Amino acid sequence: MTFEATNAQTSGLGFTGQSVKRVEDDRFLVGEGRFVADINPEGVLHAAFVRSPYPHARVTRIDVSTARRMPGVVRVFTGSEINELTNRVPPLASIKGVYSPLYTIMSDDVVRHVGDPVAVVIAESRPLAEDAVEQVVVDYDPLEPVPDVDRAVEPSAAQIWPKADGNVLADTTDTFGDINDAFTKAEVVVTERFDSHRLTNQPMETKGILAEVDPATRHLTLHSTTQAPNVLRWIAAGITVNQGPGRSLRQFAVNKKRRKAFVGAAREFLKDQREELRKQDPAAMKTQRKAENAMGTLMRMGLGLLAADDFPTVKTADIGGGFGCKGAVTREELTVVAVAKTMGRSVQWIEDRVENLTNGGQAREERFTLSLALDRDGTFHGLRCDAVIDHGAYPGFPFGAAITSLMWKVYMPGPYDFKAFHLETRIVATNKGTVVPYRGPWAHETWVRERLIDIAAEKIGMTPGDLRRKNMIGDDKLPMSMITGPDLDATMSAKKTLERALELIDMDQLDRDKADAKQRGHRIGLGLATYHEAAPGPPNFGDSLQPGNAMLLFEDGRATVEEDGRIVMYTAQSPHGQSHQTTYAQVVADEFGVAMDDVDIVWGDTDRTPFSVIGTGGSRGAPMGAGVMRSTAREVRRQVVSVAADMLEANPDDIEISDGTIHVAGVPARGVSYADVAAKAKSEKGITSGPVFEHVDRYTGTGNGGWSVATHVAVVDIDLETGFVTIPRYLVVEDCGRIINPAIVDGQVRGGVAQGIGAVFYEKMNYDESANLASTTYMDYLIPTAMEIPAIEVDHMETITGGDGDSRGTGEGGMIGAPPALGNAVSDALGVQVTELYLPPHRILELAGVLG
Amino acid sequence: MTHTSEELAAMIVSVSMTVNGNATTLDVDPRCSLADTLRDSLGLTGTHLGCEHGVCGACTVLVGGEPARSCLMLTAQADGCEIVTIEGLSDGDTRSPIQEAMYQAMSFQCAFCSPGFIMSTVALLAENPNPTEREIREELSGNLCRCTGYQSIVAGVETAVEILSSQNILSSQNKERSGQ
Ligand code: FES
Ligand code: FES
Repeated sequence: MTFEATNAQTSGLGFTGQSVKRVEDDRFLVGEGRFVADINPEGVLHAAFVRSPYPHARVTRIDVSTARRMPGVVRVFTGSEINELTNRVPPLASIKGVYSPLYTIMSDDVVRHVGDPVAVVIAESRPLAEDAVEQVVVDYDPLEPVPDVDRAVEPSAAQIWPKADGNVLADTTDTFGDINDAFTKAEVVVTERFDSHRLTNQPMETKGILAEVDPATRHLTLHSTTQAPNVLRWIAAGITVNQGPGRSLRQFAVNKKRRKAFVGAAREFLKDQREELRKQDPAAMKTQRKAENAMGTLMRMGLGLLAADDFPTVKTADIGGGFGCKGAVTREELTVVAVAKTMGRSVQWIEDRVENLTNGGQAREERFTLSLALDRDGTFHGLRCDAVIDHGAYPGFPFGAAITSLMWKVYMPGPYDFKAFHLETRIVATNKGTVVPYRGPWAHETWVRERLIDIAAEKIGMTPGDLRRKNMIGDDKLPMSMITGPDLDATMSAKKTLERALELIDMDQLDRDKADAKQRGHRIGLGLATYHEAAPGPPNFGDSLQPGNAMLLFEDGRATVEEDGRIVMYTAQSPHGQSHQTTYAQVVADEFGVAMDDVDIVWGDTDRTPFSVIGTGGSRGAPMGAGVMRSTAREVRRQVVSVAADMLEANPDDIEISDGTIHVAGVPARGVSYADVAAKAKSEKGITSGPVFEHVDRYTGTGNGGWSVATHVAVVDIDLETGFVTIPRYLVVEDCGRIINPAIVDGQVRGGVAQGIGAVFYEKMNYDESANLASTTYMDYLIPTAMEIPAIEVDHMETITGGDGDSRGTGEGGMIGAPPALGNAVSDALGVQVTELYLPPHRILELAGVLG
Repeated sequence: MTHTSEELAAMIVSVSMTVNGNATTLDVDPRCSLADTLRDSLGLTGTHLGCEHGVCGACTVLVGGEPARSCLMLTAQADGCEIVTIEGLSDGDTRSPIQEAMYQAMSFQCAFCSPGFIMSTVALLAENPNPTEREIREELSGNLCRCTGYQSIVAGVETAVEILSSQNILSSQNKERSGQ
């Protein structure tokens, strides 16, 4: 272990590329982190929700009279009272062929999954609120539950959303290349069905919100665990302006200031985005329009926003993990906002673990029938996939199950040279919890593809390594484009990671280990998996998903130098464990030639930090987030140098900065400090307050954006007596370009792999055949511990193509690579082809033929 | 079941305990957990609540030197006890050796789990100053972390062992030198 890198070092050494210790740990390790549950203003009220015990039922009566009289209870709102204060939630991201049901903030007529909120109690403390929840009487008339996709599509099944086509919310088809030709030509077709089970993100900190009301102005400040503060801000504002469009329009018309600001902003947007707007596919809204008037709801919200005088401020402090689920805005959060706004009182709700398991976001219950067309020599021709997603009842906001199918459409052929690809997806509603993005939301395209490649390899008598090697796109073919659109350049170095991984495996030793294991009543097997991930992806990636999407892929940032010489950077990211504060300070300190201690990183405050529709998500923190930190810092440095050059009577080109001193090259003794330059510029420019130097930038990435890739290797050891699986070796060979902080990248990779191990061997949301949920505590939903997760080796390759910075994202990959590597390893060990994701001990024993 | 406010007031118990070296006496609701008292009444928010049903270990504190899940323990049960929380380990902003070790090993990501792991490590190393990797993993298996995959936390404990044992060597050398 090396301890030399600390943040007190100065730029002479360069922070980028070193495992600099974390700035965040100064507060975390001594118990001074500040999470949302730690903020407790005087007099805050607490919310607790009344939830449905039924998966599907009609609410016939709700009686809150006893609850209202309970000690400490300030108010009880029924679902319909909340819904009167709020608009329905419209689909924000319209996806072609997908109907996204409009829904109310609370369920006042029909409940659609266990835990669906029907009323909320506001009391002086959470225990008192919970006591009163027990006293709310709700009569339900149970409806037939829809427990799974098989039942959902039967004609006799209950229909969950009246305006949908049965329970099918989407039925989409995409074809790339000549798929029939590919399958006719091929000598072999391998087809298999794969099933994955429902998982849940499970950050250790649940979600939470404190809606704080300023007693004087009634301005709302929302302290939240959100990954995307601006999304919460706008939806909170839009949902709580429940008034007719006419009234909104009149208010807008008389408010000259707002009108002018809006027209100006709109004009600028239209000018900037004319091209992208033209690309938007009108078909995207069509399914939605046919089913119901989502446009009307959007319009009502939009006009309400135009009329609103005040928008909430959203602040995030420290956030205890998210893995996608905290990017979603939940109905509970919006309820709390509506309640605080109506009552003019601050209200807090901290989700408890049972609520989080039941209702805090679930993912990945999917079924695939996948066919691979290839020749006997291993040459791939085409890939065909028929997929079904169990959507649960309510669509996630802003992104739910539908985004997964959109990603599959682009990703599924992976880093292989396919001539054709065909995908059919059905998204089916059931009476289960909401599906949200979970770390690499599209991941199972890799799981099924990599699993099927192993099956095909066995069928044609090739090794899994050789079959991959034969078809994977390598330097000889690059640059080229995927059959599904996105451009591939040298950063798509998947094949290099595969070759390197194969080098690092000793196959002879493995054979000896396998033989030894047999003696002990164990089985050992090895599995490989390779993927590529757009992080941030090439410039045409967004448009490949859906035309016009590229317009969302930017990152705003701001750099300043204050009058005391401190450097203050403003990011649109909302960190929740990824160590942004450290990595951004590394990058920025290097640009400015100062110590990391001289740099402040500001995040999570919509009054001060830049706008973003994504916040932190999609492995964009390094490429885009650090990218804009670098580009803005560079410009501000230029401004500083130009003033310093005057002071030093030198040419700006001759200026260097080292250890925070700005000086003529080679003469550090005669230098000036940032504070000196700031003082000079301040008086020269006549600045009275605010930053002395400043630059704001919209960063869209440089060069080809690029790919993040990896090959995972898992070795499993299966005890045939217990069915228990250990992992004697787990290796990740990854390439995310230039690494800013290796220890932090390793942590991201290992954490992702750990979640993949959990997904395969331990974790499962257990809904029974009546859609009742059995996994509502950590006694039933098993998060792996230090005993189950092995040491994970991480081998880095750093492909640099010369783009500015050239650091690519790495947050999601661990979770993408692990399930197929493990599934392949178990298959190898047992000599059977595993087609399900979930492999608990009893299933392992069944597969091994030990249990009948 | 509803209670009048008089009935509720009658259900208050008085608890005396020492928290991070400070003696304190409080009136609490008998249902109140030790975690809630530490966080809400004493403002010691370094102790975290991850599950409130005794599995995740984020709420671990030391009660009489033994690790305890403060979400499951009632405040009333802590009457007369000596409690140490994460805030009680460091001297202001100066990290204790175990906290320093976790800093050096970059053990955590979101760090929501960190108070529990650190308190469990304090208890582990008090009992077994030189644990094997397997013993560390076994002992820490009562704490959940969703971010790290545990390797960096195990490395943090190993680093703590190094720091503590070098400190012990130093202090025993000093003792020898001063003839004790
Ligand atoms: S909060 Fe106490 S064990 Fe999880
Ligand atoms: S560091 Fe996030 S839960 Fe452990």
